[in-house]
Amino acid sequence: MIVNAELFVNDLPGQLIGSLEPVSLVNGNILGVVHNRDKIIDHRICVNITFEVDDKHLEQLKDLWERRDIVISSLGSVHETYKMDYILIGDVNAQYIEGLIKMINEATTIDQISVSYSSKSIRTASHTSLISVKARYEDNLDKIDTILRKECKKSNVTYVRGV
Amino acid sequence: MRAFICGFGTIGQSVAKIIKEKQEFFEERYGETLIVVGALDSRSFITDSEGLDADELIDSKKSTGRVGDKAYTKIMEALDSVEFDILIEVTSTDIHTGGVGLDNIKYALKNGKDVVTANKGPLALKYKELMRLADEHDRYLLFEGTVGGAMPIINLNKYDLAGQKIKSIRGIFNGTCNYILTKMDDGQPFEQALREAQQQGYAEADPSGDVEGYDSACKVVILANSIFGRNATLDDVDITGITSINSDAVALAKANDMVIRLIGEVSATKLEVAPRLIPRGHPLSLPGTLNTAEIITEYAGPITVSGIGAGGLETASAILSDLIDIMDVRIGE
Repeated sequence: MIVNAELFVNDLPGQLIGSLEPVSLVNGNILGVVHNRDKIIDHRICVNITFEVDDKHLEQLKDLWERRDIVISSLGSVHETYKMDYILIGDVNAQYIEGLIKMINEATTIDQISVSYSSKSIRTASHTSLISVKARYEDNLDKIDTILRKECKKSNVTYVRGV
Repeated sequence: MRAFICGFGTIGQSVAKIIKEKQEFFEERYGETLIVVGALDSRSFITDSEGLDADELIDSKKSTGRVGDKAYTKIMEALDSVEFDILIEVTSTDIHTGGVGLDNIKYALKNGKDVVTANKGPLALKYKELMRLADEHDRYLLFEGTVGGAMPIINLNKYDLAGQKIKSIRGIFNGTCNYILTKMDDGQPFEQALREAQQQGYAEADPSGDVEGYDSACKVVILANSIFGRNATLDDVDITGITSINSDAVALAKANDMVIRLIGEVSATKLEVAPRLIPRGHPLSLPGTLNTAEIITEYAGPITVSGIGAGGLETASAILSDLIDIMDVRIGE
């Protein structure tokens, strides 16, 4: 898994290296480090690390940092997300879109979904709509695609998807 | 070698012109030339076993509306009236029946002629049958000009990407739709953009084959059969045209830094023609009448090619490459 950690280390020489070593000790792969000298709390400097590690070693890593007097401010997994846009053209209103989103939510897990409407047709009940979806897994997009394809065909709505 | 040009519209005339211009090239490469011994249009034909002059044929077509002075009742009679080696089949496309092009190709192959064609109809409808016929008679049936005009795609996959698995091909295969959608990017409504395309000569009086996606679908079928080894026909393609794309949709895409393009997509499992949302700057967001294809390969990753998708000389350039392929084998370099 890819993990992002915000750590606070003592403002002393060698502390930055000291915060990175434990990642190597648990066979982690450091992807990025930001040494944020402007962010100082209680004489400690902020270090933000993004790294790849086997999730079974995460507890061991936390122990190693704590033993080195390193404060873990936040620790969270970073996910790659897959984005897809869809434009729906036809007799589409907010209620219809809500129904589609409900179906999508029931069938799959999505990180984020947003809907925008064309400004030109905003005065009428029917809009051309843009649905933007962010999903955690690529196959979620296939499921969304299947739902939209089927529902739009049923309602005689043209749907245009991204690439 | 001797060629018979069947169909003498814009493409047929351009092929005759290019063959004339390339006489020196043929002489240098093969020690002999390629001559046109027969030409036929919908109403007339002309033959000369010593070779016909391209300029005279084109002048005749322009001044009289006929390429030759002889009439025919059956095309086969004209084809039988002179000895030739290669049929260049460029009659107009009929995607419903294959038209005369289908009969001409079958007849030529059965009678031991190699065939080069830019006619999509016969290949979109009867690909397997025609290739089997070519195999049975040990003849070539080459068709680079059927997909993307001047844009090299079939031979690119066949030769330059030989041995690699092609995962998918998606692209803009219809210049007329791309012209209309590009005009809509600039704010024109669909009807107006279509009329402009007709006035510019990009769209035909009956534009349904283009705007309803059937022309692109023919190309998708040809790619599916020739590159993916499938046995597909037009009925297998999921087709959505661009007639329902309105100004609202184009504006909404534009506001989100995207454009709408009619994309054909082929893979081992997918055959589709549909309008798609393309981020600006993406290789498939090309404007105007250009055709483009993004080929996803096993080792080389994505490869993108583009070129002018229609037009006499552009399509004739693809036919020339097929003629050279055949002459390389029949005469040797």
